[in-house]
Amino acid sequence: MKMAYRILAYLISLGVALQAAAIAIGFFGLANWVEQGGVLDKAGFESGTISFGGLWGLEFHGTVGIMVMPILGLLLLIAAFFTKVKGAVTWALVVLGCIVVQIVLGLFAHSFYALGFLHGLFAFAVLGTATVAATRMTRAMKAAPAPVVGAPAPADAA
Amino acid sequence: MATDRPPALEQATPTDGARRTRTAPRWLRIAAPIVATVLVVTPIAYLWFGSLMPAGYSVLSMGIPDYGGGPVPAGGHDHGSGVPGGNGPTRSVTDLIADPSRKADVVVDLVARQQDVTVGGRTIRGYTVNNTTPGPAISAIEGQLIEVHLRNESVTAGISLHWHGLDVPNADDGVAGVTQNAVLIGQSFNYRFVADHAGTYWYHSHQISNEQVSGGLFGPLVIRPRTPVARRGSDVTAIAHTYGGTRTINGQGSDLRVPAKPGQAVRVRVINTDNALMELWSGGAYRVLAIDGRELFGPTTVTGRALTLTGGGRADVELTAPGDGSAVRLQLSKATAVIVGSGETAAPAQPNASLDLLHYGTPEPLPFDPTHPDRRFMYSIGHRPGFYLGKPGLYWSVNGRLFPNVPMYVVREGDVAVMTISNHSGEVHPMHLHGHHAVVLSRNGVDATGSPWWIDSLNVLDGETYVIAFVADNPGIWMDHCHNLKHAAQGMVAHLMYEGVTTPFRIDGDEDNHPE
Repeated sequence: MKMAYRILAYLISLGVALQAAAIAIGFFGLANWVEQGGVLDKAGFESGTISFGGLWGLEFHGTVGIMVMPILGLLLLIAAFFTKVKGAVTWALVVLGCIVVQIVLGLFAHSFYALGFLHGLFAFAVLGTATVAATRMTRAMKAAPAPVVGAPAPADAA
Repeated sequence: MATDRPPALEQATPTDGARRTRTAPRWLRIAAPIVATVLVVTPIAYLWFGSLMPAGYSVLSMGIPDYGGGPVPAGGHDHGSGVPGGNGPTRSVTDLIADPSRKADVVVDLVARQQDVTVGGRTIRGYTVNNTTPGPAISAIEGQLIEVHLRNESVTAGISLHWHGLDVPNADDGVAGVTQNAVLIGQSFNYRFVADHAGTYWYHSHQISNEQVSGGLFGPLVIRPRTPVARRGSDVTAIAHTYGGTRTINGQGSDLRVPAKPGQAVRVRVINTDNALMELWSGGAYRVLAIDGRELFGPTTVTGRALTLTGGGRADVELTAPGDGSAVRLQLSKATAVIVGSGETAAPAQPNASLDLLHYGTPEPLPFDPTHPDRRFMYSIGHRPGFYLGKPGLYWSVNGRLFPNVPMYVVREGDVAVMTISNHSGEVHPMHLHGHHAVVLSRNGVDATGSPWWIDSLNVLDGETYVIAFVADNPGIWMDHCHNLKHAAQGMVAHLMYEGVTTPFRIDGDEDNHPE
């Protein structure tokens, strides 16, 4: 379970990086399309037929942000319960809390665009806390003498 | 999970990062994480379970009854509903019909088909009515009784027709699963209603409405006044629709040309059938004669301002052909325009300023007094993660809750109801109340000072709060939903019900009724 915790925490870090990459490709794709004469308005947007290179990045950002990240955060918390490593639950809660705040910022930025600035900055909080959680677990695992690479895996490393 | 415990050696060797409680008994060390997991998962499972609906449910069984401070009928419930109207006498929606002894003045036969349609050079899988999309224009004179014979020839999922903006008897409202069963292939359905108010309307399917309307199962309906106003000019309908990304007017992916003599006025009846709002603007001057089938009093000349036409809404806009024999354009978004007059004219830039109908035209007394309403309702729109029919996602909430726990607004015939619609969801919503016209009283606390502004489809931008009022004068069970039909299909559907009205129809049951 420690390994699961570590993997989940790193996946959250990776998720933040991918979110940044996805939103960037989405907006550059949109700008590129508009440069070539593409017109985006509400009717086009709602018709679901607007298509440009990089559009997947916008969709990816929405789906991963709303669905995948909170699920990873919850799984991290559940994994933390079973690691029996001090601080694991606390850090999982911090990571999950950061994800929730980040989602709220993202949602409310649709009403108050200036929150987008904070949404961008706060991504580093999610990234930072998830990375700390992962490295703490790595240290805890190294400090524990039992798991050895190649040795029969103890149950909690599964 | 029971095997998930640390090796004994590790337990005796606490480290900085992996300190653990050595005093806790073994059973607690096993049970605690399991209990914690259950505590985390249970509320999520509860929310998921609460979003499920049985296969085949009555609209009567969904929602949270909201009596708006009015009388709660005997046997009325606070939750879980049942029949609002409780133990009193009940009427079925099927009994709420136009005078059956009256002969129809206008008879229309409509045949719906599922077929490929070619628009602007592109072919999409769509729907037609009498082999065209938009379907044929239905027109009548105020006061006439219209009878429509609808037949489904090839629409696999079934169809229905809703008369958008017409306050028809409830049995003819055309909502599959609420006021009728979906009309399946080979079946027919007759609609009968009196065209009691001159104006611009449209009809569209209310079965799997998002897909069928966007695919073309709709058409215009115009009711002309009994005593024609002194006709200064001509009258043209422009039904705007986006087919597979192609913007059209009357099914053509090009501008609509309206020949007119210099100085001649033209009434352009614009119908927005899309999910999204549409901006209208002109390089010249225009007047807004009517909104949603209701004339505005004292419409003044507008220049340099755009008019926002919400999804499902209609605006009758008057343009006058320029005296020099040139043309004037009414842009229906940037992509298409109605061109009145002759010759060419460049497309005008989209103005930043908007026409505010709250202060447009001259005031007139209302036919009822909204200051002491019998019911006060709240329709507060949000956006949050949750479950819809078991599917996780980001959904529209009404009064903080997701479908099916949306309000069921209950009224008694004759009530005056005031509804506050507030939107804090981050997106615009075209709010459509079936069977009634409501008048706008205020927006964001600012009172309406212009002509009475009657609506059946209201554009509520993010951050806006509208207060509207209506008289409950058309008994039945009426949808009160977002006409961005994608949003409706995500559960943004509440209902207005009259005490004691019941329906025998069921949603998602054996009859395949899927109103959204």
